[in-house]
Parts: sequence; C-alpha cells; structure tokens
Amino acid sequence: MRGWRPALRIAWRDALRHRGRSILVLVMISLPVLAVSAAAVVIKTAEVSGVERADRVLGAADARVRTEGRGALVQAPDPLESGWTPVGEVDLDAPLTEDELRAVLGQDARLVPIEDGSAATRLDDRVFDFSTIGVDLSDPIAEGLFELEAGRLPDAPGEVVVNGAMLDKGFAVGDELDVAGTALRIVGAGRDATAYDYPVVLGSSQDMRSGAVNLREWLVDAGPVSWSQVRELNAIGAVVVSRAVLADPPDDASMSEQLGYGTGQEETYAVAALIIVMALIEVVLLAGPAFAVGARRHARTLALIAASGGTPAQARRVIIASGVVLGLVASVAGLVLGVLAGWAALPFVQRFNGEWFGPFEAPWPYLAAIVVFGLVSALLASVVPAWLASRQDVVAVLAGRRGDRRPRASTPVVGLVLLGIGVAASAYGAVTAGGGSGAFWIAGAAILSVLGMILVVPVVVSTVARLAGRLPLTARYAARDAARHRARTVPAVAAVAATVAGVVALGIANASDEESNEATYWPQAPMGTGVVSWGPNVLPGEEAPDPEPVWSSIEQVVRETVPGVEVERTHGLAESYDPNGWTSQQVVLPPDLEDGEGWGLSVYGPSVAVSDTAAGAGVVGDVLGDVDRALAAGRTVVFTLAAEGDVEASLVEETWREGSEQAVDRRVHRLDAVMVPWDQATSGPAPASTILPTAVTDELGLEVMTRDLRLTGDLDEATETRVDEAVRGVTDGTYTYVERGYERPDEAVVVLLVLGALGGLLMLGGTLTATFLALSDARPDLATLSAVGAAPRTRRRVAASYAVVVGLVGSVLGAAVGFIPGVAISRPLTAAQMGPSGEEAGPFLAVPWLLVAVIVVALPLLTAAVVGLTARSRLPLVARLD
Amino acid sequence: MNAVLHLASVSRVHGEGATEVHALRSVTFRAHPGELVAVMGPSGSGKSTLLTLAGGLDAPTSGSVWIEGTDLATLDNAGRARMRRTSVGYVFQDFNLIPALTAAENVALPRELDGEKGRIARRLALTALEEVGIVDLADRFPDEMSGGQQQRVAIARAIVGERRLILADEPTGALDTDTGEEILRLLRARCDAGAAGVMVTHEARHAAWADRVVFLRDGVVVDETGADEPEILLAGDRA
Repeated sequence: MRGWRPALRIAWRDALRHRGRSILVLVMISLPVLAVSAAAVVIKTAEVSGVERADRVLGAADARVRTEGRGALVQAPDPLESGWTPVGEVDLDAPLTEDELRAVLGQDARLVPIEDGSAATRLDDRVFDFSTIGVDLSDPIAEGLFELEAGRLPDAPGEVVVNGAMLDKGFAVGDELDVAGTALRIVGAGRDATAYDYPVVLGSSQDMRSGAVNLREWLVDAGPVSWSQVRELNAIGAVVVSRAVLADPPDDASMSEQLGYGTGQEETYAVAALIIVMALIEVVLLAGPAFAVGARRHARTLALIAASGGTPAQARRVIIASGVVLGLVASVAGLVLGVLAGWAALPFVQRFNGEWFGPFEAPWPYLAAIVVFGLVSALLASVVPAWLASRQDVVAVLAGRRGDRRPRASTPVVGLVLLGIGVAASAYGAVTAGGGSGAFWIAGAAILSVLGMILVVPVVVSTVARLAGRLPLTARYAARDAARHRARTVPAVAAVAATVAGVVALGIANASDEESNEATYWPQAPMGTGVVSWGPNVLPGEEAPDPEPVWSSIEQVVRETVPGVEVERTHGLAESYDPNGWTSQQVVLPPDLEDGEGWGLSVYGPSVAVSDTAAGAGVVGDVLGDVDRALAAGRTVVFTLAAEGDVEASLVEETWREGSEQAVDRRVHRLDAVMVPWDQATSGPAPASTILPTAVTDELGLEVMTRDLRLTGDLDEATETRVDEAVRGVTDGTYTYVERGYERPDEAVVVLLVLGALGGLLMLGGTLTATFLALSDARPDLATLSAVGAAPRTRRRVAASYAVVVGLVGSVLGAAVGFIPGVAISRPLTAAQMGPSGEEAGPFLAVPWLLVAVIVVALPLLTAAVVGLTARSRLPLVARLD
Repeated sequence: MNAVLHLASVSRVHGEGATEVHALRSVTFRAHPGELVAVMGPSGSGKSTLLTLAGGLDAPTSGSVWIEGTDLATLDNAGRARMRRTSVGYVFQDFNLIPALTAAENVALPRELDGEKGRIARRLALTALEEVGIVDLADRFPDEMSGGQQQRVAIARAIVGERRLILADEPTGALDTDTGEEILRLLRARCDAGAAGVMVTHEARHAAWADRVVFLRDGVVVDETGADEPEILLAGDRA
C-alpha cells in the first residue's frame, strides 16, 4: 500500500483539478452502475420468495399442508417457488386424513382447512373469473391472509369479503354475488396478501369450495415444522410449506436433482456472462479516452518520476490510481443513486404487476458485485493508457517532444486473427443451429470479433489519416490529430464501433426474424375479409340465450355503424350447449383419404357450413362454379388439399354429458359428397371444411344457426375499431377480426426503437467524449489557428470534423463486424419453419439496409451537427501571449 | 509615409480594484513599411501585451489600434481574424506550428483559412518556404524538423500571401545563437522587402538588427532610439 500512496494522492488531486474529465468518467461508469443497481432493487423487491411468501400463504400458521392423494413425492424446501414431483403412483381416491397428518405433526396439532380455487360470476351481461379462498378468516391462524379495509369479516355462511380489484369490477360492500347458484353477500373489502390487480373473493371454506375433487389443504398450528417432518409428510403424499424450513432452508442440491432442474442454469449463466462482458467492454471503451488524455497530461510528471529513479511500475501506478479513485467514486455514487432510483420507481412498477411486491429489499451481494463491476471497468479503462505511459521515451518528453513508442506491428495481426476466429465460430454456430448451443457460439464469436476489431482500429485510424491529404483543412486536421493521439481515439472509435456492431447484428436478426414471420404467417381469413364471431358466456347451470335475436342485433348494429361495408351471415350446424352436455358434429372422409391430400386445410369459418350457394358460404376463387353446381344438385361439398371427385363421406354426431368420458349418443349419416381442392396458397384459408346444402340438413333434421358475420368492403383499421366497439356494446363474448396479412407487432417496433435510441445514445456518448477530449487537447493548436487568423467558427468546424472522423470510422467498422454475428444468428432464429401451406421454409436472411445506412451515414453526420452546434466558438489565446 | 501599425495612446488594464494591473499606459507607437522595430524591456513591462493588442488578439482598455489605416475597434471578431489572415503575421518563441499538419500545410494555413483553393494556397506556401530556404522540407511534419527549421516554417507562415506586418515574440528565444542569427537575417530581409516588423526581444544583440528600439518599463515607453520624425510624436491622431 505504501508504494501506492503518492500515486493515489496525485490521482485524487488530479481528479479535483480536471473536473470536466473526472465528471466524464464518473458519468460513463456510474450510469450503468445506477441502472443495474436500480433494476436489482426493483427485481428483488418484486420477487416474493422464501420467508416473504410464507406470510402471504401461511397467515399466522406454522405450515400449510396440501395433498391430492396418497403416494410419495419430493418437494423443494420452497415448493411454491421450485415445485414438487411425485416419485411413484399416486392413489387419487384415497386422500390423506387429518389423523395421518397429526401422526407426523403431533397429536395436538390444529388443522384449519383452507380452499384455494377459482369461480366465475355474472355482472349484468358480463361473465368474469376470480380467485376464491375459503378459510375461516376469524380464526387467528388466518391473520395476515387478508387485511380488512372496509366493512367487516364474514362471520356466518353466505358472507364473503373481496379485494380492491373486485370492487374495481363494479361490486360494492353490501352487494350480492352469485357463485354457482349460491347468493353470497359481500360484507367487507380489503387487501389480499398476494393478488394486486386480480379479483379475489374470500369466505368460509364451505362457501368457497375449490372445485377440485381430490385436493385438500390445511393451515397448521403445531409449532415449527422441521425439514424431517416435511420429508415424512412427503413420503405419504403431502406437500408442505413450512415457515421454519423457509427461514432456514436445508441444502437442496439433492432435491433439485430429483426435481429435474438445474438443466437451464448453464444457459442462464452463459447469457448473463455474455451481457456482462459486452457491457464491460462498452464501459471500458467509453471511459478509456479520458484516462488516455489524463496519461498524456501526466507525461511530464511520469518522465520526471522516471528521471528521478522511478520504475515503469511506479509510473503506471499514477494512471491506474486515477482509475481506482474515479472507479470507486463512480461506483459508490452510482450505487447510492441506483438504490434510490429503484426505491422511487417501485410504486410505478407495481402498477404493471398483478401481485403485491414484497417489502423494500436491497440485495447487497448483487449490489457489491455491481460496485466491483464499476471499479473493474475503471481499472481496465486505465490499464492501457497506464501501460503506454510507462513505455514513453523519457528523454523526448523532458525535451518537450512527444515520447510515444511506435505501435507494435503484431497488434493488428492479432486483431485480424481474432476476427477470423470470430467468423469461423459464428459460421460453426450457424451451421449447428439445431443443437441449441449455436446461439452461444455466435454470441461468443461476437465478443471475439469485437475484441479483434478493437486491435485493428489503430491501423484503420492511421490509414484514414494517411488518406486525409486531400480533405479540407479542418477534416484533414481532425483525421491527422486523431491518428496522432491514438490512445485517446482508438477506444472512442472502438466504443462507437462496438455499439454499431451490436445494433447492426440485432437489426439483422430482427429483420430476418420478421421476414420469417411474414413468410410463415397463417392468415385467419381471406385478405381484406372481416369476421365477427360470437359465443355466449354461460355459467354452469345457466341456460344459453337464444342466439338468433342476438345475431340480429349484432348484424343490425354492424350495418348501422359501417353502412358501406357488406355484411353477410354464415350459417352452420348448431354447436348446441345445454347445462347437461353438448353435441358435436364432424364430417369424416374414408380412411384412405384422411391423411395427406384429404385433410389438413386451414379453415376460418365454421367446420360444417350450411348454404345453397357458394357465395353464401363465402367461397371465392375459381372453384365457385364447381361448388355451386354441387350444392344445386343437393350434394355436400368437402374441401381438400388436393383430392377431388365424388366420395362417400359421413357426418358423425356425438352427444356428450358433463363429466362423462364417452359419448352417450352417436349417430352417423351418410353424405353424397364432392371433394373440391382448395388452393390455400392463393385463396388463403377455406371458409369451411364442409358445406351442406339445406336439402341435406332438412332431410336429416339438423339444426342450422348463424355462425358468424362475414364483412367485405373497405375495412381499414378505424372501421374495424368502430365495428368492434359497436358489437361489444351489444353483448359479451364477441370477437372481431379483419385479415390484413402479416403485421409487425407493436412490441417489435418498440424494441427496435429502444434499440435504436440506445445505440444512438451510446454512439453520441462515444463521439462526444472523444471530440471534447480532443478539443481540450487541441487548445494550443486552436490558439495557433486563432493567431494566424482563423475565424472563431473554426473551432466548431474542427469539433464537427472530429466527430465525423470518430463516428464514421467507428460506424463503418462496427457495421462490418456486426454483419458477422447478425448473419450467423439469423440461421438458428429462422431455420426449420413451416410455411402457411405446411411447406418447409427458412432460413431467412434480411438485412435492414435503411437501418444500416442511417447508423453508418446519418447518425455520424447528425452527431457531428450536434457537436458543431454545441461547441464553443471562442478560440483560446496562445499561451505565451496570454 | 503611412504607418502599417499605429498604436494611439493605448492603455490596457487587467483585472479590477485591488488586483488591477496596468500592462500598458497610454502608449503611442508606429511601425512603417521597411522598418524593423525592436521592443525591449524587463519582464512584466508590457512587451507581450503590446503584441497581442497589435494583432487584434486582445482589445485595449482605452486608445486605438490601427492596421493599414483600419481602426481595429471598428471590426468584429471575424473581421479581426480576417485582418490576421491577410495583413498580420505572428512569429512565436516556441514556433506554435500545428503538429498534425505538414510544413507546407502550416504555411498555407492562413490562405486556406481565408478560403483560398488548396492548390493555390500550397503554391503560395511553397513560394514562402522558398524564401526562407527550406522548400525541400515542405512535406515534413513539425516533429521531424529541428528548431531552426520549425522557426523558418513559422516565419514563412507569417509572410505568406504578402502580409505587411510581422509581429515576432522572442523569435530566437528557443534557438541556438547561429540559428537565431539566421532567423533575424530572414526577418530583416523581409522588412527590407517592404514589410513592417515589430520584434519583442530582451537581447541587445538582437536589437542591433532593428532600425529602432523602443524601451518599455511598467507599461510606459521610457526611451526610443533611432530616427523618428518629431512631428509624428506630436501628431498622434494622424493615421
């Protein structure tokens, strides 16, 4: 430590003296630290695990025991988090009894039944689902499961309390709630321990049956339940959440093996490692130039240290010490601000989460790791400048000349080799795409390629400087100066290049994925056609409403709302539902036609349509005539992939009862049918798989009803929205759909925008850093320019030129490198897809040229414009004359 | 003959109140075509301030500076910059060449900044380098040249494009005696060819090259040697 003290002192003073540069480094390092520690706080707080969850599911109980039948199982110490699995046969018909549990838990253990389930109810014409919890809330053991905020707790059968989300649905304390035919009165409202935005109803366990036949669950009051007791209960078929076990979990390595997880761990670690390495590279590159400038400013100090007998290691320490000082300050500042930001963001994030967050939690081990990340990035950023500074030519520096050693010729060669390995590994990853590890090869190769690229940057920068002779003065100056101050320019250019490489790679991956999505899109209806469908929401025991009046009002509303759109009803066989069961109808072809060219068609309308004309069933295309002729002759039309000609098909009607495993009634009708091949590739999905003429349905006495409304005409998105809103106003359970072909999902666009914005920001950061550090280095040159008569705006021109050099070189190089992983990753992403007609499709490769052009050309120019406009235009005075 | 440079009762005060420093006090000074004037004086006497004011890099607190008949106070920043590109050439003690530019490019700088085409500016630069005798080093970078060579480049930059006022601040300060003598010979020759030169120096030996020596002390001209017509001293307002 003693050897470090002078170095640290110099670094500390230097950081205070050069505030601008210090702030630059602080921002570069503290921002990622801030973001990640805020995220860690939010994630850890949102995550409810272990002891936190215990309070929510246990209330005041010592354990919660659940059984679905008799038979050994293994469970994780926290079964709600990590699950359980049976190890043998489970006898569902012989549930465990309370006595058997008491044999393990102790004879005086108190078992309070609790039921966890779900139910549905009707509010006006809407049906919605909610969770149910059946437990005696007045029992002290249930304390903590529900926090009463209004009214009172239920104290008699038929009384329930609800949570806030239930009130939001339109219920109020005092209302009656109809659940499965039983009227329950809401006597109170409050906060459920777990659910935040999902409706929950709590009542006695008699009123709130879970509905599951074999499931039984108890809250246990028996003192701490040990892990060995848990294992004993597991052996007879009970899953146990024990407060004592959660508080002090046993080593669960053997458990996880039996539960069969741990398989996905390596992948998660690999992904995390990749992200950390990339972030580290980016931060190091962004902060690097500031240390390079610092090292140059210290050139004389270091030379003096060397002249007075200091070793190169001692010289290095001066620069590395500034990495230590700035890295520590930045990490700690970022951590403090990040924890505060995470805390402040919690209420906002809670709104998007269905479960209550746990209490505020700062995960110190993670946060410590994040601080180490910040410190390491600062150290790494200062290492190269420190090493270069320790190699300087002492005599030259003391004589006032530049003491840079020439760069090693081997560096770019190593870079090219790394790039080559990167290309090879990417190619390997792309070829072994099916194996699943392809993506890791490619991501690893991306890191190698970026590292290789960094080593090539100095050569590229020198080459640009050599070619700059013909450029206008300021550009020539910028290019040459950039090459002269490589220690500062190279990391900045590399930072821009790494960012661009990432954006280009992800852009190619995204574009290829989109192209694959588009090529493999399965339309749900013919292009431009709209469908309004409706199915009644019926609670068990309720009679379904008569559909025809509902359809009439839906049709009327649609016609009134969009008069210009053609509306037609599609009819089909009724899929009747009554409280006791339902009847299904199915058209069956002879067995030799069932596969391949017979079935396999995608259908957007009813399976069995009923119509006397092809147009009436929504048939389009050149099969119209064939279908019309067959229907006119009273024959059934069956659409196939390829088979054609007459066929003897049969209509199978089966009636099912609730809870039964076999059809109670089965009727088969012979159909005189014609097979008509449907060309999906051109006409899209078929309107039905079978069309029956009314002659057949009349003869067989089949019930025909409206199945949906088919809309054709001008159906833009505004029209679709109007139709959708109008039919929703008529009744519950409607669905409006208009086929527009493949449309890019909004999230994909948002992801692209965020990616672009982040890329732009990092690029701007890299460019600005390099430019303003260059400007401060260029002070004497600018003073000279002023003395020989440069106009004040020259400074702006120099700044803008600098930004162009850094931005353009970086983005061209980065785009080239980004193609390597981008093209490679598109293969595992898009290979082995299935096209809309079932054919094999992919892999796809699409290059978003517009994005590439914007990033390579437009963004550097834009950055240069920003730099040019924001740079001060006053030129400094020559030092001697100051 | 009209003076190329005319300082009329120029004062320059730095700072305010207790930290007030009078760098120059009501100095009147002229330099004529063909004349090399040496400005001497101890440290802090205001020599350098006089040069910054003369080149329009700084503005006087009172009084006025005229270059070739134009009052610098009437020009804005850009106008004074144009004046430096077209009429005034600076030569500094530590050369102040731009390391990223070659010798020819450094010399061509004022012309290029003035909007001259690259090729024409380069031709003018080569002519100027020829005059100072190092045209063969045109494509070298400053750190590939000796101090004397660098100062020749700086002088070439100061004279490129027929500028008529050369302001030199200790031009030989960083050079050995022989090289320094050569540089002074160059300056002398340039003035003989029609330019006006003002050279700050503290070596009497160098002052011998001048037509006239002005002594400054505490911002006041305390002595002036050489011929100066008395009526000029009286008629301070004539440009």
